[in-house]
Amino acid sequence: MGPPSIDEVAARLAGLLTYAGGALADPERHDLLFEPEIRLLPLRRRPAPADVWAVDGGQATVADARCLQLVVTRAARARWADGAIILEDEGELRPQLVGCGEEGTAILRYELPVRPDAAIDIGLLRDWGEWQAVARSVDEADAGAMVLVDGDLEPDWRIPPAFLESLFQRAAARGVTLLGVTKHSSLAKGGAPLLGQIERQAEKDLGPRAMWWARLATTRPDAGPTRQILAARLDPDARFSFRIDLPVDADPDIALGSLSGLADDAAFPGYPYPLSVADRLAACPTWVRDDVWAQLDDGLDRFGVPFDVRERAFSDRHRLMERA
Amino acid sequence: MSTAGQPSEVKGRLFGKNVLEATFRAAPDEDLFLGELLVGVDDATGRRYLFRVVDVTYGTEHREPGWAERVAGTMLADDGRDEAGAHPLYEQSRRTYRVATCSCLGYLAPAAGDAGRTEFRKPKSLPTQFSRVVAPEPEDFAFLARRMGDLPIGMLRSGETVVDFPVGIPGTALASHVGIFATTGMGKSNLMRVLAAGVMQANGRYGLLIIDPHGEYRTALARHPWAGVGLRTYAARSLPNTTALRVSLAELNVDDLRTAYEWSRPQEEALFELERHYGVGGLGWLAEFARLDDLPGFRDVELNGRIALSTLQVVHRRARRIVELQCVATDPNVSVGGAVLRDLTAGQVVLVDVSGLGSTEEVLVASYLTRRILEEWQSAYLDRPEVHERMPVVAVVLEEAQRVLSASKDRESNVFPRVAREGRKFNVGICAITQQPKLLDDELLSQFNTFFILGLADEKDRNILRSSSKQDISAVGKEIQTLMPGECLIAGLAAPFAMPAKVDLYTDLIRVAPPPPPPRATVAANISALVD
Repeated sequence: MGPPSIDEVAARLAGLLTYAGGALADPERHDLLFEPEIRLLPLRRRPAPADVWAVDGGQATVADARCLQLVVTRAARARWADGAIILEDEGELRPQLVGCGEEGTAILRYELPVRPDAAIDIGLLRDWGEWQAVARSVDEADAGAMVLVDGDLEPDWRIPPAFLESLFQRAAARGVTLLGVTKHSSLAKGGAPLLGQIERQAEKDLGPRAMWWARLATTRPDAGPTRQILAARLDPDARFSFRIDLPVDADPDIALGSLSGLADDAAFPGYPYPLSVADRLAACPTWVRDDVWAQLDDGLDRFGVPFDVRERAFSDRHRLMERA
Repeated sequence: MSTAGQPSEVKGRLFGKNVLEATFRAAPDEDLFLGELLVGVDDATGRRYLFRVVDVTYGTEHREPGWAERVAGTMLADDGRDEAGAHPLYEQSRRTYRVATCSCLGYLAPAAGDAGRTEFRKPKSLPTQFSRVVAPEPEDFAFLARRMGDLPIGMLRSGETVVDFPVGIPGTALASHVGIFATTGMGKSNLMRVLAAGVMQANGRYGLLIIDPHGEYRTALARHPWAGVGLRTYAARSLPNTTALRVSLAELNVDDLRTAYEWSRPQEEALFELERHYGVGGLGWLAEFARLDDLPGFRDVELNGRIALSTLQVVHRRARRIVELQCVATDPNVSVGGAVLRDLTAGQVVLVDVSGLGSTEEVLVASYLTRRILEEWQSAYLDRPEVHERMPVVAVVLEEAQRVLSASKDRESNVFPRVAREGRKFNVGICAITQQPKLLDDELLSQFNTFFILGLADEKDRNILRSSSKQDISAVGKEIQTLMPGECLIAGLAAPFAMPAKVDLYTDLIRVAPPPPPPRATVAANISALVD
């Protein structure tokens, strides 16, 4: 049969993107119970909560010897009150060697609630840092506050559900609403991105400047604390809608209305401003990697590691070879 | 500008560029102006770098392409729906900023061997990155005080702020030629009056001959408290409180005619032929020639037909016009040339009001007087150096100077290019006023050591000044473009950089001008001592 041509791929893609039917699914996770029918509901903007926290994580691979990597992660927090950010916490850079039996160290140092034989990778380290920051924010937030998480309300699969259960309970006890905002969702309908289809439908049914929300799914009862999975367009000028995760007992109309009150920034209409600040704080740009590498280099100097040993371990052989 | 003793408000932090240029970041609401003078405080070296703002742009923390345009678009859409403010830009002061580009004028460093004094040095080093940028303090300009000369012009200007620091030029700079460049309405005439006022009050050190084609200086200059001792006015028409301007034909020469009028080659040869024919000094023959009725007969008989009749007719028409001028005398004994020279030698402002004359006749008068001045100062320099030393520095002020200083006018016969090239040696300068410096000859313009640049809209005009200025003004094009009336840049040899100034308003100046010193008391002559 042979590999498909570009034309064949385009034809298949066209079919997926334009076919309005099909089942709802999340190819990345299988813990969702989808609604039988998606109902679009108008969303009314409400005043933003008095106290809002936003959490996002960042990561970078500083040195990569394939079998052994030096990675850094951080979890940043931003606190919003009275129309301005009053706390910017970019979070400490956490360096960690990954691979070749270094996992045990990581579990101990970061108090990772995972099995001792769990695989440790940069994704897990970053995710755990983020959820620790979420937990701190819940503990420090005022009653009635909202804690925003960049992404869904679902920790890495290696973190036991009990962690989230406990966090939800603490948040509920303190009157804090936890809320996850996913910019780029993997939810699909008939194999095509779901949110794009809903957006088109909403524009048709409710008009181009409508704010709306829709219930998409709930998590399975055996997958930790139950969460409701929603989609919402948070500003009349929003270019995109987002997937929003809420604890099951939260009122979506109120929570999303309040969230909408945070999503009117002229630069990113429809995206909660505190999350964009957290995103900026958490970033690990090239200069951060370079800085960590320079510090590492100093350390290796002190420990007398010959330069060529470092070179052989960490030089990017792909890049070097491709120069030819 | 901050006041002495108070800490300067931080305008920004330096972050980039090179030895001659600096960029600093300022708050988004920091009101920075083109031409504003600021100081980069280098705490590491103790130096204070003097900056001039040459451009201000927007900056943002966001690196996504089109971020700012997108924000503006969102807000614009809100405006279109009459919902201004629906999308605020949160924390604008953190997310946006301004970037000022400055030219580095130099730096102030403690003077060697004198701990209390600072000296100004040209920029040769880079200030420490992230140094504070602050408003200048009065002491930052102290080094300029001794360079500002004795002809006051106005006050130092920093952007749109007038700084309490007088600026001017040394009167000796008049000898190395001064250019005043501006479009209409930018304050040329006021600047000229202020300059004339400075000369009047200079106690005879300088002389100024102003050829005034529009009659715009007579009344104003006469109101100056020092006009009685420092101003002499001649007028080509009958005007109160003026001396009649009379120029003897005998004192004019063919070169004056060639400077004032456009002559074709045959017409010039006709002039020389006529000069030879009459054999009289100067243009004394012009009166007799102008009275001729039978031009063809004169041509055939007297000139043996050597000149074409049509050529002779042109010369004849012009001769009649010149002879009929009220200010031209056929009597060789009637002329103001000598008086003008005496006034200038006495260090006075000589105003020659030629309003009513045509442009060419005005140039004729100017050419004559300038030639006389050059000859007088030159002969003193060569033959009577001790007298020349006591003679004031003089300058001839010419409006619409491109008429006599353009490339096409640069001929041996034209006295003005000669003054531009040779006058400095004899202490004779030109003060050229023009709206179109691009029409001046490049090489002649390069002889001008002092430029007063007021608002100039034409880029070609700015470019020609840029290439001829004695200070580097390449970075201040935008500032020149945006100068308001009365604002100027002074580029000269005295100051280490082009000085931004706000020219004094002449009407204000004469209100505060001190009275002239009383005439020296003279002892009454002891007549009896003379009697034997």
